Amino acid sequence: MPNALELTGIRKSFDGFAALTDARFSARWGEVHALLGENGAGKSSLMNIAAGLYAPEAGQLLVDDNPVRFTGPRDAAKHRIGMVHQHFKLVRPFTVAQNILLTAPPPAEFQSHGERLREITRDIRNKAAELGFDIDPSKRVDALSVAEQQRVEILKVLLAGARILILDEPTAVLTDQEAARLLQTVQGLARKGAAVVLVTHKMADVKTYADRVTVMRGGRTVATLQPSETSVAELVKLTVGESIAAQGFQPPAAPRGPVRLSVRGLRTPASPEGRRVLDGVDLDLHAGEIYGLAGVGGNGQGELAGAIMGLEGEPTEGEMRLEGHGDLKTMPASVRRSIGIAAIPADRYGLALAGGLSVAENYAIGRVHTGCYGPVWRLRRNRIQSDTQEAVRVFDVQGVRSVAQKAALLSGGNAQKLVLAREFGKSPMLVLAHSPSRGLDVRASAEVHARLRAARDSGAAVLLISEDLDEVLQLADRVGVMTRGRIAGEFAQPADRQAIGQAMVDHG
Amino acid sequence: MADASLMADMAVPSSTSSTPPKASSAVAHEAPRNAQPVQPLARRRYALEIRQHMPWRWQALILAAALLAGFAISAAILIAAGVPADELANEFVMQTFFDGQNFRAVLFQAAPMILVGLAGCVAFRARFWNLGLEGQMIWGAIGATAVSMWQIGPENLRLPLMFIAAICCGLLWVLGPAWLKLKLGVNEIISTLMLNYMAANFLLHLVYGSWKDPKDNFPYSPQFRLFERLPELGAGIGSSILLAGVVALLAWWLASVSRMGLYLRFVDANPRVAHASGVPVRRTIYGAVLLSGAMAGLAGFAVAAGQEGRLTQAFYQGYGFSGILIAFLARNNPLAATVVALLVAALFVTGRSLQVFYQVPFSMVQLIQAVIVVCVASSDFFIRHRLRRVGGEAVQ
Repeated sequence: MPNALELTGIRKSFDGFAALTDARFSARWGEVHALLGENGAGKSSLMNIAAGLYAPEAGQLLVDDNPVRFTGPRDAAKHRIGMVHQHFKLVRPFTVAQNILLTAPPPAEFQSHGERLREITRDIRNKAAELGFDIDPSKRVDALSVAEQQRVEILKVLLAGARILILDEPTAVLTDQEAARLLQTVQGLARKGAAVVLVTHKMADVKTYADRVTVMRGGRTVATLQPSETSVAELVKLTVGESIAAQGFQPPAAPRGPVRLSVRGLRTPASPEGRRVLDGVDLDLHAGEIYGLAGVGGNGQGELAGAIMGLEGEPTEGEMRLEGHGDLKTMPASVRRSIGIAAIPADRYGLALAGGLSVAENYAIGRVHTGCYGPVWRLRRNRIQSDTQEAVRVFDVQGVRSVAQKAALLSGGNAQKLVLAREFGKSPMLVLAHSPSRGLDVRASAEVHARLRAARDSGAAVLLISEDLDEVLQLADRVGVMTRGRIAGEFAQPADRQAIGQAMVDHG
Repeated sequence: MADASLMADMAVPSSTSSTPPKASSAVAHEAPRNAQPVQPLARRRYALEIRQHMPWRWQALILAAALLAGFAISAAILIAAGVPADELANEFVMQTFFDGQNFRAVLFQAAPMILVGLAGCVAFRARFWNLGLEGQMIWGAIGATAVSMWQIGPENLRLPLMFIAAICCGLLWVLGPAWLKLKLGVNEIISTLMLNYMAANFLLHLVYGSWKDPKDNFPYSPQFRLFERLPELGAGIGSSILLAGVVALLAWWLASVSRMGLYLRFVDANPRVAHASGVPVRRTIYGAVLLSGAMAGLAGFAVAAGQEGRLTQAFYQGYGFSGILIAFLARNNPLAATVVALLVAALFVTGRSLQVFYQVPFSMVQLIQAVIVVCVASSDFFIRHRLRRVGGEAVQ
């Protein structure tokens, strides 16, 4: 059978951070090919290259054994490659038909917009009937459920002519029944001759629906196997790497203290399909310990972090008791920060730094409410400036020519160091670190880790939420695994990597 | 050239574009900021890129060019309306700033103008689009007049009481929209704008009804007594300009020196980051908006007690638009707003004399304001974007 899509020797880096070092992948016509790996293994990056979104720095891309070069998704579409992204690319106030019209190939001869829309509507109906989708083309996208929106995405790429279909974590947002239906449908497409790439982390889906599986780890392709001849345990092992339990793990100097934060039954409201992003989180966080929360992204980690930080859209049920302060839920975000809850959010420029403001302003905002930079009516700019200069020096933030320069001009790692400098400037009682070393090089990561350990040793309770299992195992004194909005298991250190990996991919 | 390339992009919607297909021609002028259209122009391809940063010298140069273009268009309109070309410079510069009487008129006009401009600056800094400056101004004047009508307080405290009443009334009139926005997410552009009509009609109700001056039958309130009017500083300059200057300094202090200024910069830059970093976002927005209403109320006080000496039926007209324009041109900087407000006041005074000498309608003043705003707003496009030859060097 000929290869529909082949990628060899692909290399790609972002801001000097290598996302792919030597990745290869091939999918044949008529097969469902699973691409398996942890978050950050490079699955999505590799497939974004295949879909023409990224240009590789090195390596070759072949379609039907012919070398191709894409300058954008339109080129990929011309070679009949279509990708359904994890985060849907739909215009929400538009109808299904309008959305599909946007990406449909231009008509051969002139058509009025009305004719085009009618033709597209007819095509959508036919294709939907063929696939067994129940979709009303005249409905607005924002009136559809998540599963229906995904079907629209699939119709969109198929009607744009795709025969090589890439699905990025398609079942992450679906219920089990919806996921089974979807995977049966794409299996049917493959049986009719299409090539389907299934980017996933779920072993069960791989075992049931994939004809072949390629495993990626740390930006490299590890192996390509037959799922029918490989056990789940083997796949887990290939995905998370060899069992080098607790490498670099440093136990705390002192025994842990009392429970500082006690989370009980934290729940977000249910979606119309009955899914809850947070579905009863129970968690005890002690003073003087690092609690590592592992798990595949999108299982409620961001929402848990938001709930502790006090962002909008907080859970409506459950409680978060902070030692000596009562329930956090009733406390505004500004008060939480002033009693010593430090936060290192995952979304650096969305939650931690105002890119358009200066380094000094971004540093000062963390402490200004204490009055250390002067009374309400007067900011002591000189003190802010000298403190920022000192912090920039101590935390080794590179690329700061002047503390008056915009924070947006800092690179990822240095921006993160600025956040650390601000958050650890005062001694916090509770530290929330969400993917603190994402996108950072080895040296910067090590510094971030050292700061977290130092915070623990000075008595803070540290909650480390990370999709990088290596990071969790290196840092955490206890490890929890989050799946589907709850803590699915807890492990004491030294923890069994395989057992954690298994808990991460088990669902239900 | 840039417009043409955007149009070209609209004609062929790309896969990532969010352009509604059925309205492609209608939305061509408000193209998405992040679009990178590509246009074949005599075999050359250009792309429009977002510019991260531009040296301030270039920004100033572009702004100056935009202002020049605005002045040139305005001059062309005025010449077309019958003002001799060689008289323009004389009327606008010499007569306005170097003639003692006219300059006093500019200062007289400038006080409420500065106050509404500052009111705009303070609200816009909190990302609250207060289009209700006129309504708040009307209520400020009503509050001041009520104190005079009902003779509240002893004579020597009357003026301060009127001052306080104006602040409170302006502030209360914007409290509703602020609460609706922060509690229920009601768009403040609509709510503040609509409340202007309520305020204006209530004003008419008063001056045609119970507050009408019994001495004659014109629609205005009785004349304020001497101690209810802002005194002159001497040389024909009213104390209202002093009041405006003090408020401008306070606004500058608030924005640049105080802690709230830092909070406001964060709320303006990114409300989510501000919230997550511990800025009391709600309190900051409330504070800025109520302050904005209070300043607009003071502008009403400045007109009623400083210019007219009574409550009249149309004193507020044009101030709402001017306030927004001043804040916009000054980039919400209080000190710059003071300068811009002086220039706008000069434009008003010149407009009145053009009306007398050349029969140019006064609405021409608003037209000129609008032309200058459009030019400056367009210049923003060149500050934020650059045109790049695909595969070549930046063109601009």
